[in-house]
Amino acid sequence: MVQIEAYVILSAVLFILGAMGVLLRRNAILVFMSVELMLNAANLALVAFAKQWNQMDGHLFVFFVMTVAAAEVAVGLALIVAIFRTKHSIDIDQLHQMEG
Amino acid sequence: MTEALLFLIVGAVAVAAAVMMLLSENAVYSALFLIINFMCVAFFYLMLDAPFLMMVQIAVYAGAIMVLFLFVIMLLGAEKLGEPTREFRWLAPLALALSVAFLVITGIAITQGQIDLRGPLVQPPMLRVIHAASGVGAVDVYADGEMIAENVAFKEASAFVSLPAGGRTISFNAAGTDTALLVEQVTLENDPERTASAFTLIAYGSGPTLTLVPDNLETTKDRSGRVTVFNAFDRAVDLWDMGSEFDDSDDRAVTRELAPGASVELADLPENTDLRAWRFTEAGSKEAALFRLNNPEIFRIERDEAQMMVVMSEPVLAGTEQDILRAVAVPLVSRALPSFGGPQAVGELLFTRYMLPLQLVAVLLLVAMIGAIVLTHKESFRPRRRDVRRRVAKPLTTAISAQIGRDVLQPGVEAPKLPQEAEQPEPVGK
Repeated sequence: MVQIEAYVILSAVLFILGAMGVLLRRNAILVFMSVELMLNAANLALVAFAKQWNQMDGHLFVFFVMTVAAAEVAVGLALIVAIFRTKHSIDIDQLHQMEG
Repeated sequence: MTEALLFLIVGAVAVAAAVMMLLSENAVYSALFLIINFMCVAFFYLMLDAPFLMMVQIAVYAGAIMVLFLFVIMLLGAEKLGEPTREFRWLAPLALALSVAFLVITGIAITQGQIDLRGPLVQPPMLRVIHAASGVGAVDVYADGEMIAENVAFKEASAFVSLPAGGRTISFNAAGTDTALLVEQVTLENDPERTASAFTLIAYGSGPTLTLVPDNLETTKDRSGRVTVFNAFDRAVDLWDMGSEFDDSDDRAVTRELAPGASVELADLPENTDLRAWRFTEAGSKEAALFRLNNPEIFRIERDEAQMMVVMSEPVLAGTEQDILRAVAVPLVSRALPSFGGPQAVGELLFTRYMLPLQLVAVLLLVAMIGAIVLTHKESFRPRRRDVRRRVAKPLTTAISAQIGRDVLQPGVEAPKLPQEAEQPEPVGK
């Protein structure tokens, strides 16, 4: 039996790796993938707590997080495509000016 | 031990895949490493009793979302970015320091923070009543003065209601009146072995008497059902499976000498077990049949069902001779609990307690779909050019220049040539 703490620590490590990806990478697509990694880490913690408390509600939250993540990816990738069309780059360092 | 070893191995693979995703230069490799990471998380879902989420994780995350990522990466040709010309050089060490600090704080909080982990939450026990006393009309049932079932007729069962654990006073009143026919003290305790404790209170016999039977609503095995036989008849009975009609050698006693007020649980009966050859008999005699279960419409085993089959006495002709009683078996069917984390349990919660969030998320997905279409639609980014008139009419100067053979505006300078139909070669064959 693996203790609940082990899952939560693993979840925290994955979350931090995702956060580092968001902060350090310049490719907008990679930033998005790192956000997905963070969402997954949060999901893992939710499922672990659902098991600990023997309550199914955590599973439902994970289900909704996955749905929202799918919506977010659809819109986010569409935005990246649109930005790539106008600026011919998805380097987020070059996108810090709010110009059209 | 095996579980801990698996956790360590798969956890290491998950972290390594995440690190490789961060470090790889090629975005396609990053996406593939992320898929490995998602697979590891799906494995953890399986270890944490969430088989449905594991399926969704693989199908939606590792499948749909990552394919979308790979598609966009390859569509834009954005596998590699050019030379690293960072404008924010101070960001990298700062992010690293913040991340390490966050990890340390989280680790301390998790290991030293004394998180309150008291173990599984316990559901309150559930109670239902079964009316098996032929001499009594329909009843209302009260627990500590609060009605828990209304108008329960003979041979019927009420629905399960949750009651706080502990001693309760249950009273049976004649339906619609305040006169208590029976009052009984029962003690409802949670069974630590079970995910949900359920009890059935059966009123039977000519007394009538009340008996509290622990009910078993635990998840049944795959494609099987569970039958609890309760004897509410006035003498002991046997339950026989006669097998083939003409062959005595395959007769089998399912249960013997079931005393009045006793119950026996028949677990893991496969679905669609043929009950037509089953019969209740007098105790000790295979031939003295009391009741045959030969109606396949009523007596059948379905999967995920927990039946309580009550053998009770019923007047032969209702209302005339109270003394002539015969045995009748009544199956009272309830659903076994769906397995934790399975699709059925998730679906039940989704369509009851989480109906509104489900609708909102559905609307959100619809909006996201429309948003994605609008954002990637090419025309929406260009202002419409109103060049219809200019294309039809030639400038007057050009017409004059064509007539006189030289430019009218600036002598010696060629007139700007416009794309004209006349300049294009005639199609062959016209």
